[in-house]
Amino acid sequence: MTKSVQLEDKTLELLQPIELDVNSGESLAIVGSSGSGKTTLLSILAGLDLPSSGEVYLKSHALHQLNEEQRSQVRANHVGFIFQQFLLVNSLTALENVMLPAELANIDDAEARGKELLEQVGLSDRLAHYPSQLSGGEQQRVAIARAFITKPDILFADEPTGNLDKKTGLNVTDLLFQLNKKLGTTLVLVTHDPKLAARCQRQVEMDGGKLIQISEDSELVEQDPSAISQVG
Amino acid sequence: MRDNVAAPARHTTNKSSIWFTQSLRLLHHELRRGELTIVFLAIVLAVATVFSLTGFSGQIKQAILTNSTNTIAADRVLSGSSEVSDEILSQSQKTNLTLARKIETETMVFADDNMLISELSAVSNTYPLRGELLINTSLAQETPVVANAPDEGSAWVERSVLSRLGVEIGDLIEIGVAKFTIAGVIADFPDKSYRMLIAGPKIFININDIAKTELIKPGSRMWYMYLFAGEQEDIEAFEQWLEPKVNESQNWYDAKRAQNRLSTTLDTAERFLSLASMLGIVLAAVAVAVASRRYGQRHQSVVAVFRALGATISHVRKLYCLHWGLLSLISISVGLILGYLLMTLGAMAIKNYLSLAQTNISVIPFITAILTGLLCAIAFAIHPIKSLVHTTPLSVIRGFEHQSVKRFGWHQVPPLLALLALLLLFSRDVVMSVSLLGGGLIVSFLLLLFGRGIMSAGRTVGTKAGQSWHLAIANLKRRASENSVQLVSFTIAIKLLLLITVMKSSIIDEWQAQFPADTPNQYLINIAPHQVDDLKRFTETHEIPNRGFFSVYRGRLSAINGEKTISREELEKRAASKEHEQADKPKGRRGMGRELGLTWLNELPQENKIIEGSWWQPDDLTPQVSVESGVAERLDIKLGDELTFRIGAQEITVPVTSLRKLNWKTRQLNFIMIFNEPVLKNFPATAISAWNVPEQKKQDFYRLLAEHPTVTFIDFENIMKQLRNMIEQVSIAIELILILVVLAGSLVLVAQVQASMEERERELAILRTLGAKGRLLRNSVLFEFVALGAIAGLMASIGMEIGVYVLQTQTFEMQGSFHFSYWLVGILSGAGFVGLIGMLSCWRLLNMTSVTLIRRTM
Repeated sequence: MTKSVQLEDKTLELLQPIELDVNSGESLAIVGSSGSGKTTLLSILAGLDLPSSGEVYLKSHALHQLNEEQRSQVRANHVGFIFQQFLLVNSLTALENVMLPAELANIDDAEARGKELLEQVGLSDRLAHYPSQLSGGEQQRVAIARAFITKPDILFADEPTGNLDKKTGLNVTDLLFQLNKKLGTTLVLVTHDPKLAARCQRQVEMDGGKLIQISEDSELVEQDPSAISQVG
Repeated sequence: MRDNVAAPARHTTNKSSIWFTQSLRLLHHELRRGELTIVFLAIVLAVATVFSLTGFSGQIKQAILTNSTNTIAADRVLSGSSEVSDEILSQSQKTNLTLARKIETETMVFADDNMLISELSAVSNTYPLRGELLINTSLAQETPVVANAPDEGSAWVERSVLSRLGVEIGDLIEIGVAKFTIAGVIADFPDKSYRMLIAGPKIFININDIAKTELIKPGSRMWYMYLFAGEQEDIEAFEQWLEPKVNESQNWYDAKRAQNRLSTTLDTAERFLSLASMLGIVLAAVAVAVASRRYGQRHQSVVAVFRALGATISHVRKLYCLHWGLLSLISISVGLILGYLLMTLGAMAIKNYLSLAQTNISVIPFITAILTGLLCAIAFAIHPIKSLVHTTPLSVIRGFEHQSVKRFGWHQVPPLLALLALLLLFSRDVVMSVSLLGGGLIVSFLLLLFGRGIMSAGRTVGTKAGQSWHLAIANLKRRASENSVQLVSFTIAIKLLLLITVMKSSIIDEWQAQFPADTPNQYLINIAPHQVDDLKRFTETHEIPNRGFFSVYRGRLSAINGEKTISREELEKRAASKEHEQADKPKGRRGMGRELGLTWLNELPQENKIIEGSWWQPDDLTPQVSVESGVAERLDIKLGDELTFRIGAQEITVPVTSLRKLNWKTRQLNFIMIFNEPVLKNFPATAISAWNVPEQKKQDFYRLLAEHPTVTFIDFENIMKQLRNMIEQVSIAIELILILVVLAGSLVLVAQVQASMEERERELAILRTLGAKGRLLRNSVLFEFVALGAIAGLMASIGMEIGVYVLQTQTFEMQGSFHFSYWLVGILSGAGFVGLIGMLSCWRLLNMTSVTLIRRTM
C-alpha cells in the first residue's frame, strides 16, 4: 500500500510501499518522529482515508474498494477511536458523548451501557457534565468510555496522552490497557512516547514513510492468528 | 470485566429516528448554552423588523381607508371657491339625489380675551349624507348622540376649543361678528381630513348662520362643498350630466378619488420609511449570513467526530437540516411575537394622531415576515451547511483548517438573490430594490476603500502611538474585509441619526435666523376695506414694520392668447390618452391649475426687479399686467401676450407689459400677477398685509384682532411650531427604525467578533506566551473597536455634512454651514458604542488566564 499527494510541481510520497498485518486481539504501537507518516498510516488503517495504491482490509471489508459512506458503516460497526485532542462534542454531556457511537451503530440500551462505562472509568458522578466542565484527564476518560461502548473489534488511539500531564497520562493509559485487555479489543496506538509504546505487544516504527518492525511478542500474537487488519 | 459488558445488540430497524433524537439533543443543549444566540437573534431581528413595519404601515393605511364612503360623508362631492349655479342644484333634485351643503373656512374664534384660529364648517341640516356626526351634549355623557347640523345660534366644537378658550358647554363664543352658544362637543365626524398642518380645531355651525358672521366677503377664502347621495344609477346619471359642466375652479370627486390623493401621500411617506427599514433588513440578513457561516465553522468538529464514529453523510445531512430547520422555526416564531409587540408600541406612539383600534392585521405582514425568515434561513445558510455536511472525517486527525472563504464565487449568488428577493418582497418595487442593492454595493465598496485608507493612515499613526494602538490598528487592517461590513452599517446608522439630530435642532433655527429682523411673522387676511384704516393706524402708533396693505382679488388664468389653459395633470392625461401621432399637439395650454391672489399696484414692490418690458406709469389707463419671470418661463408667456383672467363670473383680457424677478426668500407678500389699477379697481376686494409684531406688542395686537373679528391672521411662528412638531413625529418613526438598524449593525459586529474568536484566542495565546501584559492586550482589543467606531463616526459625519448641505441649499434655499460639533458627537458616539459592544463580545476571552488560553489553543 502507498500514499502520495500531488503537489503543484511534484508528487510527495507520504507512505512508501508498506505491508502490515494486525492480528485480532493484538496491541500494536506505531512510533516515529513527527512527519514520519504514522498518523497517515493510522487514518488509512481506520478507513478515514484511502491509499493511493494497494489494498486495505478491516476484518473482511476491503476498505480500498468502499466509498465514503460504506467506510462510515464499517467504522460504526467495527472501529473505536481515541484522539489526542479528545474530540468530545462540546454541546453534549459526558454521557451523551459516550452514547454517540452506540446510537450510530444502532445498539440497544446505549444509555445504560454509557452509564456503566462511565462508572468503570470513574466518572459516574459526572454524567451530566459538559466537556468544558471536565479536566483534560476526565475528558480523555470520557473519550475512552466512548471508544469502548460499541465493543469495537479494533481501537485506534492517536497520541492518547499527548495532551495530558505525566501523572494523568499514566492513569489514562492504565485505564486504556485495562479495558482493552478485558474486552479483548485489538488496539492500534500511535505515539511518540517509548514507555507507552512499550506497553504494546508489538511495535513498528515509521521513518520517512517507511515501516520498520521493532519488536514482536510472538507468544501473544499466536493467541489469535487471524488478521483483523491488513495492509499491503 | 468482560462479563459485565455484554456483546452489544445491533439493530437496523430504528436507525431512522436516531438523527432525529440527536438533532433535538444538540439543539436543546446548544440553545441552553447560548451557542446559537447570535444566529437566533439575527433571524428574530429580520423577521421582527419586517413584521412590525409591514404590519404597521398596513394598519395605518387600513385605518385611513376603511369606511371609505364615510370619508367624504357622501357618494360624490362638488367643491370649489364659489357657490354653484342653481341649475346644478335643481338637476340633482330632478335625478332624485339628496343634497347637503357645507361651507368651510379658517377663522378666529373669541371668548372674552381668549382667541383661537379654528376650522369652521357651516353645514346644512341634511349633513352628513353618509357616516355619522357624533356629539356629546354634556361632558359627563358617555355615549355620544348622532346629529346633523347644530340649531341656529349654536355651535359644536372639538374638545380642545373648551380648554384653549377657557369656556364650557353653554358659554358663548364669537365667530366673526356673531355670537354662538356652545351646545355640544364633537366626538366624531365622517369627513375628517388627514392633513398634517391643520389650522386649528373643528367648529360646526348651521349654514343659515354663516351670513350673520359676516365672514363671507369678496375675495375671502371660503370653500363651498355640495354633497350628493342617492342610488347608484341616479348618481351615475347626474355625474354624466354634470361632468362636462365642472369648471377648473371646481373639484368633483368620489371617496376613491379622495382616497387616491391620501394614499399617494401615504405611499411617499411609506417609501421614505421603507428605505430606512430596508437598511435594517439588509443588516439583519448580513448578520444571519455571518452567523450562519460561524454556525458552519463551529459545527465542523462535531460533524467530523460524528463522521469518524461512523455517521453517514445522509445521517449528518438529515440531522443538520432538522437542527437548522427547527432553529429557524423557533427564531421566526419569536420574531413574529417581537414584531407584533413592536407594532403595538408603534400604534401606541401615534394613537393621538390616528387610532388603529378598529383595524385588523392582515395576513400580509405574517407572510412577508415568515418568507423573510425562511429566505434568510435558507439562502444564507445553504452554503455553510452544505460545506458542513461534507466535512471530511479525516479532519479529526488533520485538524480543522478553516478554509478561507473565497470572496467572490458562485456561493455568493444565492445570498445576493435572496437579498434582492427580500427587498422586493418588502418594497414591491423592482427599481427601488435593484437600485438599493446596486447602490448599496457601490457605496459599500467606496466606503470600504475610504475606510481602508483611513485604517492605513491610522497604522502609521498607531506605530508612533504606543504598543496597544499599534496592535489594535494592525488587527483592524488585517481584518479589513470583515470590518468593512460593520464599517458600512455603523457609518450609515450614525449618519442617519446625526442627520435627524441636526435637522431637528439646527436647520430650522438656522433657516429662521437668516431672515432680517423686520421679516413678517403675522399675515393678516380677509381684511374688509373699511377695516384697513383702523389697522393702518395701529401699525403706525405701534411702529409695526410692514410693507402696506394690498387689495386681493381671487381669479384664475383662463386663457393665453385666446387659447384655453388646462392644468398640467390634465394636459399629461390628454397627451397620454391620445393616439401617438396626435400626442405632441394636445388641445389647450398649460395654465396655473389653481386660483391666484391678484393685486394692483402703482409702484414696483421692493425686491422685485423688472427683467423685461417696463413698469407702468401711475396715470397710464391702458390695462396691463406684470408677470413673475419663473411662471412666465414655465407657461411660455412672452411680453405682449394677451392673458385672460376669470374673476368671479367676469373675464378680463390684459396684455403682458413686463416680466419681474421676485425674491421668494424674503417671506414678504409676493404676487405672481400684478395689474395696474384700472384693471381691477371695479372688482370687490379684501386686503391682506404682512406684519412683524414683536413679542411685547402681541397683547395689543390680539386686542386689535378682537376688535376686528372677521380678520383672520396666520401666525408664522405657529406654523413653524407645527412644522417642528411634524418633524418631531416623523423622526420618532425614523428613530424607531434606526434603533432596529443599530441593533442589526451591533449583531453583525458581535457575529463577526464571534467568527474571529478562535483566531483571536490563538493570537492572544501567542502574545501572552511572548510575555505581553494583560493590560496591553485588553487595550489593544478595546482600541481596535474604538478605532473602528471612530472611523465609522468620521465617515458618518462627512456623509451627514453632505446631506445637510444638500438640504440647506436645495430644500431650504439657504447658505450651507458646517456643524463640526456634531462631528465630535458622531465620532465619539461611534467609538464609544462600537468599543463597548466589541469589548463585551470579547470579555470572556480577555478574562481568560494565560494557562487556559494556551491550553485551549496549543
